[in-house]
Amino acid sequence: MAPPRTYRCEAIILGYTPLREADLLVTMFTRDQGKVKAVAKGARRSTSKLVGHLEPLTVVRMSMAHGRNMDIISQAEVIRSFSELKEDLTAIAKGQYLAELVDGFGAEASANPGLFQLMIDTLGAVEADSASDMPLRFFELHLLQVSGLMPELYHCVECRNELEPDAHRFSPNMGGTLCLDCSPDDAHLRPLSLRALKVLRLLDRSEIVESCRLSPDDGLAAELKSLLSTTVSYWLGKEIRSNSFLERLNKESHPEVYI
Amino acid sequence: MARLVQELNRLPGIGPKSAQRLAYYIIRLPDEDAYALADAVTSVKQNIVYCEGCQNLTDASPCQICADPRRDRTILCVVEDPLDVLAMERTRSFRGLYHVLHGVISPINGIGPDQLKLKELFIRVADAEVTELVVATNPTLEGEATAMYIRRHQGRDDLKITHLARGLPVGGSLEYSDETTLSRAFQGRQEI
Ligand SMILES: [Zn+2]
Ligand SMILES: [Zn+2]
Repeated sequence: MAPPRTYRCEAIILGYTPLREADLLVTMFTRDQGKVKAVAKGARRSTSKLVGHLEPLTVVRMSMAHGRNMDIISQAEVIRSFSELKEDLTAIAKGQYLAELVDGFGAEASANPGLFQLMIDTLGAVEADSASDMPLRFFELHLLQVSGLMPELYHCVECRNELEPDAHRFSPNMGGTLCLDCSPDDAHLRPLSLRALKVLRLLDRSEIVESCRLSPDDGLAAELKSLLSTTVSYWLGKEIRSNSFLERLNKESHPEVYI
Repeated sequence: MARLVQELNRLPGIGPKSAQRLAYYIIRLPDEDAYALADAVTSVKQNIVYCEGCQNLTDASPCQICADPRRDRTILCVVEDPLDVLAMERTRSFRGLYHVLHGVISPINGIGPDQLKLKELFIRVADAEVTELVVATNPTLEGEATAMYIRRHQGRDDLKITHLARGLPVGGSLEYSDETTLSRAFQGRQEI
């Protein structure tokens, strides 16, 4: 049976680039088909009925038509615009960071409804409290989880013994936490404080709303951020580009933390 | 020939087929026309500079607009790129000066504030002669974020900062407008 010519889907817009005179090539993450790139014909004309429906960080219901090379967006209707998030520069920068990670971890033609929901929940949490970094930490850990890369937080990845309540070490490429007795030769090995391990376990077991109530002190926040973003960028295989603008905004608002 | 096709293919909006068509067209041109084209490309690279005022591309700095004594020097209009200056000039409704950013902040593409002409903008804005800044970036997520960044970093508390009205496009319809456009159009409503 031939596939249907048109289909509907829900998607989060990740970004777009201009294509030819008036078209856009839109990158989105759909609930049912993972990452999709599709053409929005005429969308750069101000009279297009697609204008304004395809801005990044918007949840959209789409009607799509199968094209010869790429699918064509025939209709788009905004389901959730996160309009408050888009009034706040820091929140936008955080949203762009999330979009870059979903673009990097999401695969084409491979559904990952967990990642779809995680992105929406995290955008909601950033919108609710743009000053907190906990939504990003929650996102990073659960991004690893829904991608099948969840770091081990309960047993030593080397000797498999249950971890004692103590300081440990962590290695992104060995798959998580190591006890102090195991000392493999690994360039990525880094110290992991007991309180950081506790927060990671809590993020693992909690819902996002609960996780975002945590407000770790500056030292702990910096440890979590460094550990999770290093792990995420290790698996991504490249630097996260939007991180540097986010860091810059952070430095401007808390100059004392980053000397 | 392959090299020409390859170079043309790198131009925005030119796919491999169009590049081939253009290459054949160039090959069939009379010699003097082809050399005139090549010369225009070379001389544009040799002679075009950024205007010391507005940062627009110009063959003489300051550019015609910045050098024009009839323009209002108290108001600066910030745009994303040189084509926006042309579009604004066609309306003949703005008599101030421009400032061209040459892009917008786009963290995902590695474009931060330092890759744009923002430092130059903040130096111009520090001059007390400037009393109003019209931020005319596009009403996209990145355009809006750039506008917010400018508002936060311009460094003066006595500067009037305005935005172009965000509203419904001429020829657009309420039915197809997204909620952000509609609510902004409502906020920017005018007496008739
Ligand atoms: Zn061990
Ligand atoms: Zn000029």
